[in-house]
Amino acid sequence: MKPYETFSSRFGGNIAFNPEFIVEKSQRFYLLNPRLKKMQNNFYYAGLYLGKMKDGIFFPSFNLLNMLADEVANKIVVDGKTAWLFTCGRDIFASGIVKVMGSRRKGDATLVLNEFRECLGFGWIADDLSGSAERVAVKNVLDLGDFLRRERRSKE
Amino acid sequence: MSGKQFFIDRYAKLGWTYKKPQVRQSIRINQVNSTGKRLIERLRSLGVEFEKVPFLTAGYWINSTKVSLGATVEYLLGLYSIQEAAAQIPATLFHALHGKNVLDACAAPGGKTVQLADLMGNSGTITGLDINKQRLSAMVNHLERCHISNTIIYNVDARQAKLLNRKFDRVLLDVPCSGNFAGDQEWFNRRTIGDIERNADVQRALFAETATCLNEGGEIVYSTCSLEPEEDELNMDWAVKNLGLKIQKIDCLGSDGLTEVFGRRLDAQVGFCRRIWPDKTQGFFVCKLRKEPLS
Repeated sequence: MKPYETFSSRFGGNIAFNPEFIVEKSQRFYLLNPRLKKMQNNFYYAGLYLGKMKDGIFFPSFNLLNMLADEVANKIVVDGKTAWLFTCGRDIFASGIVKVMGSRRKGDATLVLNEFRECLGFGWIADDLSGSAERVAVKNVLDLGDFLRRERRSKE
Repeated sequence: MSGKQFFIDRYAKLGWTYKKPQVRQSIRINQVNSTGKRLIERLRSLGVEFEKVPFLTAGYWINSTKVSLGATVEYLLGLYSIQEAAAQIPATLFHALHGKNVLDACAAPGGKTVQLADLMGNSGTITGLDINKQRLSAMVNHLERCHISNTIIYNVDARQAKLLNRKFDRVLLDVPCSGNFAGDQEWFNRRTIGDIERNADVQRALFAETATCLNEGGEIVYSTCSLEPEEDELNMDWAVKNLGLKIQKIDCLGSDGLTEVFGRRLDAQVGFCRRIWPDKTQGFFVCKLRKEPLS
């Protein structure tokens, strides 16, 4: 199983990629369309970036998370304030969760969607999703604010 | 030969009287990503007041905003990009982009690449080249944020574009240039005619190389944010005379390209270019050329 498939399976998702159109370069994975596939010599970046392996851990891209969000997968919908706080790197309290789809099991991965059903990132289920309002229910692992953090890091 | 007065006198000789521009912040809506997302309504609810840029289909000028436009969830989701209004013009000048093979010759940091991909509905292919690896890392974040899927990027100097051994239907040649004073108060103190001539040489080399990669009947859009004719009309005159390209009439913001520059008469086709003196937008120059099919 490829790292992006292993990662996807943790969400209860079942994304099937045609391996013919997946290219790995410097431990980064890209999904190419048939025309790009013919051009794939020594590129820097191509097609849809799916994620990278680093120190044995797979780091997904937001493209992959979006694909998963379109599939049947563990996901929660959060209210507006919680969505904003999550994008700023904060964990999610049960009181901010509007809807749960898929697993509620502690330790499972879940996607985090806003009220428009747009994927903001993902986290690990840390506690009962409908439990105490004051306890962290989902631990933030990756959120959209990462784009800004990358920018800041590259400037430093 | 430099300094504010020197350049202001040059602009006067070209027919423009210097005035301090009031460049407005603008955004471009990514049509593919924002369809059905009620973006306008969402931005208004965040406290963003804006108005349509009259000469653009997807551009909006920002009148006021209570939030940082580069940090909203809508921005991070790739629903819109922050892109200066004049800089939104070049990509819109191509005819029939859908399904085409496009070369974006000096692609980083990727604002126009994302715009091209949006105009193409992620169809066809865009080959993006840039020599600067640091700028490329910013570009790939931009591509990921906007979910672009039809683009392949190479860390290659466009002056070596032939090494790719590919032909293109459309070439965007938004060349590195001397810039202009509209967004940089120190511009007049930092630029000399020597810099401008050096840039013009590089631009011609880029032009010559990429023109050879263009299919017959294909189109090149050349653009700079320089107001200096050495980087603009004089380069177009050179391209017409040396590269077998024909300048096409375009309908966009700006005044006609200059056909007489400091006493030198240029090919009449150069008048079809558009020169945008700074005002609500930054200074800009744009020209569309076509490689005529062999008869």
